[in-house]
Amino acid sequence: MARHAARTVAQYALVLFAAITVNFLLPRLAPGDAVDYLLPPEQVGTISADQRAQLLGQFGLDKPATTQFVDYLAGIATGDLLVSVRYGRPVREVLAERVGWTALLVGGSVVLSTVIGAWLGFRSAWSRGTVRDTGTLSGVMVLDSIPPFFLGIVLLVVFSVNLDWFPAFGALPTVDASGLALVTEVLQRLTLPLVTLTASSVGPMYLVARSALVGELQEDYVLMAEAKGLRPSRVRHHAQRNALLPVSTVSLIGLGTLVGGATVVETVFSYPGLGRLIYESVLARDYPVLQGAFLLLIVGVILANLVNDLLYPLLDPRVRRAPRARS
Amino acid sequence: MARRLASAIGFVLVLSALVLGAPSAESQEPSRLRIAIKGYENNITPFTITFGALPATNDVVHLVYDSLFWSQVRAEPEPWLAESAEPNADNTQWTVRLREGVIWHDGTPFTAEDVKFSFEYYLLQEGASGRYAHHVSDVPVFTSAEVVDPLTVRLVFGSPAPQFEIMPGADLPILPKHIWETVTDPKTFTAQPPVGTGPYKVVEMVTDQRYGLEANDDYFLGRPLVDELELVVIPDPSAAFAALQTGDVDMVERIVPPELVDQFEGSAEVAIAEGTRLESTQLYFNARKAPLDDPDLRKAISMGIDLDALVETVLLGNGRPGRDSFVHPDSPWAIPDGGHEFDPDGARALLDQAGYDQEGADGLRLAPDGTSLEFSVLVSSFEPLDIRGVQLMAEQLSSIGVRLNVEPLEPVALRQRRQAPPGEIPAYDLYVSGLEAHAHVDPDSLYYFFHSPGDKGFGASITGFTNAEFDALAEAAAVAEADERLELFADMQQILADEAPVIVMWYPDGLYGYRPSAYDGWITDPGQGIFTVRSFLADYAATGGEGDEAGAGDTEGQRAGADADEGDDAGSGSTFALVIAAAAVAAVAAVIVVRRRRALEDLEE
Repeated sequence: MARHAARTVAQYALVLFAAITVNFLLPRLAPGDAVDYLLPPEQVGTISADQRAQLLGQFGLDKPATTQFVDYLAGIATGDLLVSVRYGRPVREVLAERVGWTALLVGGSVVLSTVIGAWLGFRSAWSRGTVRDTGTLSGVMVLDSIPPFFLGIVLLVVFSVNLDWFPAFGALPTVDASGLALVTEVLQRLTLPLVTLTASSVGPMYLVARSALVGELQEDYVLMAEAKGLRPSRVRHHAQRNALLPVSTVSLIGLGTLVGGATVVETVFSYPGLGRLIYESVLARDYPVLQGAFLLLIVGVILANLVNDLLYPLLDPRVRRAPRARS
Repeated sequence: MARRLASAIGFVLVLSALVLGAPSAESQEPSRLRIAIKGYENNITPFTITFGALPATNDVVHLVYDSLFWSQVRAEPEPWLAESAEPNADNTQWTVRLREGVIWHDGTPFTAEDVKFSFEYYLLQEGASGRYAHHVSDVPVFTSAEVVDPLTVRLVFGSPAPQFEIMPGADLPILPKHIWETVTDPKTFTAQPPVGTGPYKVVEMVTDQRYGLEANDDYFLGRPLVDELELVVIPDPSAAFAALQTGDVDMVERIVPPELVDQFEGSAEVAIAEGTRLESTQLYFNARKAPLDDPDLRKAISMGIDLDALVETVLLGNGRPGRDSFVHPDSPWAIPDGGHEFDPDGARALLDQAGYDQEGADGLRLAPDGTSLEFSVLVSSFEPLDIRGVQLMAEQLSSIGVRLNVEPLEPVALRQRRQAPPGEIPAYDLYVSGLEAHAHVDPDSLYYFFHSPGDKGFGASITGFTNAEFDALAEAAAVAEADERLELFADMQQILADEAPVIVMWYPDGLYGYRPSAYDGWITDPGQGIFTVRSFLADYAATGGEGDEAGAGDTEGQRAGADADEGDDAGSGSTFALVIAAAAVAAVAAVIVVRRRRALEDLEE
């Protein structure tokens, strides 16, 4: 068991290294650099090579690529993530400000979409073929087809402009508040973006849960349970426990991809999360921020996968046997 | 069943707590105004601004800092930090007498040392000075400064600078020496709030979210009318205008999109004010690349474009068509008869006569060297109006045998494509770009943009246009006195009209939305829009005292809603219809699916 865990961790460490390397290379493949972004458009092409080097030098970006890569790796080890070209502040600070909001929005959305998707999916599977099932399926499919951007704007217009139930932008209250008032306002501003993001990600969760339970219900043990005379709700309970396995896997994997999907929602609602930071940093060729932010995401996704991998044997007794079965 | 009911009630309770629990927005005193801007400008210093809030960046900077004169859009700017400026005989030295009693935001007195330091520092940090660098390093070239007494400074330039009061006088923000003299890396000096002499002090900065500004009690033109300004960053235009409609913000620093103009005009709570900045959008030729280096070809293409149709279709009429003479019609230098010549027959005739009369297999004309007249136009993918404009122009030009292909690129990629290794010509054909007021009022801008590529100016990076006569006129105008300069500028504009290195597409109207109930002092400061320093000062603002200049305190451009009872329900009708339509579609789809399944089940049985 420990050997298996150690091997898994080693595999992930390798993946992490490969991801970090790609993370370094990819932004540099795009045409242009930070100086092209920072200069006013008329001055494009008129800045001398010396001035360009001087500007980039303030951020360590004038050195040859291999030196930068070595610095980058060293920086990861020591936690020094360089200085943002756009903000002029340490990347660590910039990321720290946004991580909390992303955790709130994306984390909340993952939890909610998993819970709601699983609940709806199991209900549908249990009553498959009925109007309730097809109705829910159609509804979720329609919701899933709506682009998050459009959904966000519609919610904004309906609930903020027309009904004036929720504020239209931002994450923090604009009037100074503290304690309960602060919490309430933060939650208020979180509501619309959270609803938008959850609605956009419920689809896959619903489908996975539904098909998982449908599959389980066709297993022999379910037939056995019904034959034994167990109450339907009891049978359902057993089947759902097993159906939760794929749901938990998809949920954890979805955690990584969801941060990218939040970019659009964050832009519509002016929510200061990581998604929007990454998008704007790509436009500005702010390599230090991109390196730092992607590092954060990579670590997060790999951690999530690692947790899932290690958690699986605990959830599913069938997998606990000799590691030789897995090659 | 009871459990379900209980959880449902619980859910409703939580929801209502969220909705009702908001603290009511109270702003009796002090007076507070909330303005939505497009992007975050770090700590609003000339070296750390990101131009994310363009075109408002300049105005935001000048809420915090002052320049010697104000503003650059006037032929004779007002004394501001300076009281007067006297040149020597050949305009190479300017002795500036400064205003007395000015204090920096941190209480330190303002002196001539600060002015001397500022000019020197911008030159020292040329790389980081961004758009201010050329004011001290190019036209004119700043060489040295001398403090004559605590309120008098003499600035010495390497070449005559007859327009000193406008450039750099009315543009360069003056920096506090005691803050910046120890800063070696100005681009990383982002932690502290800025210290300036301006009407507002920055008291709060939340990255990418907002600024809190407080009125400067000791401001030399009197305490501003609004006690607190809150600049909130809303990057998405729909969200910004939604916030305006709900009252979450009191003004949006963006031009109202053509589609929303009618909706706002009919609203009781939101008004629209006219505040046209001297902006333009134009199509530049790569005038060094054959066959676009032929002025006849460029002129013919210009004649084949119907700019009135462009403004009607793309801007819905909210703008003026471009002029062949380039300069904005409201600029002090604009020649009266520099309009656009639209003449497709004339274009065809000119092309025939200039040697482009052969037709290729695809119906396009051929250049003398055999290549088709097919060109690609680089446009920023963030500017849908620009893209539509180019598409429309492409349609129009197909009738004279020229093809344009639109190539949208994101901004940095576009800039990258405009560059070339040293000594080589860039590979692009045409590109579209916007210009803000600075380009239309800076007396040296024609030199910068259209002088043939050389040591001075940006000519190489704009179009690469080369015309010896134009160069001579531009060089003379750089050192000429005011009257002579006007004549020279007129001749230069005529050459631009004849040889068409650039086709100005339009000058957009500046229509800005605001809530009169929150603040009604917005003025149309010609060329500056309405979000400008003067809108907050008692001597100029609409609700303050009388303006003492033509153009200040001018509110005749306001278009407040006539129908008072409609409110902003004009737009909600269509959104509700949309939502109901979507629900109907979903219902129909569900019914179809259900019936199909029933049919299938019947078949199975």
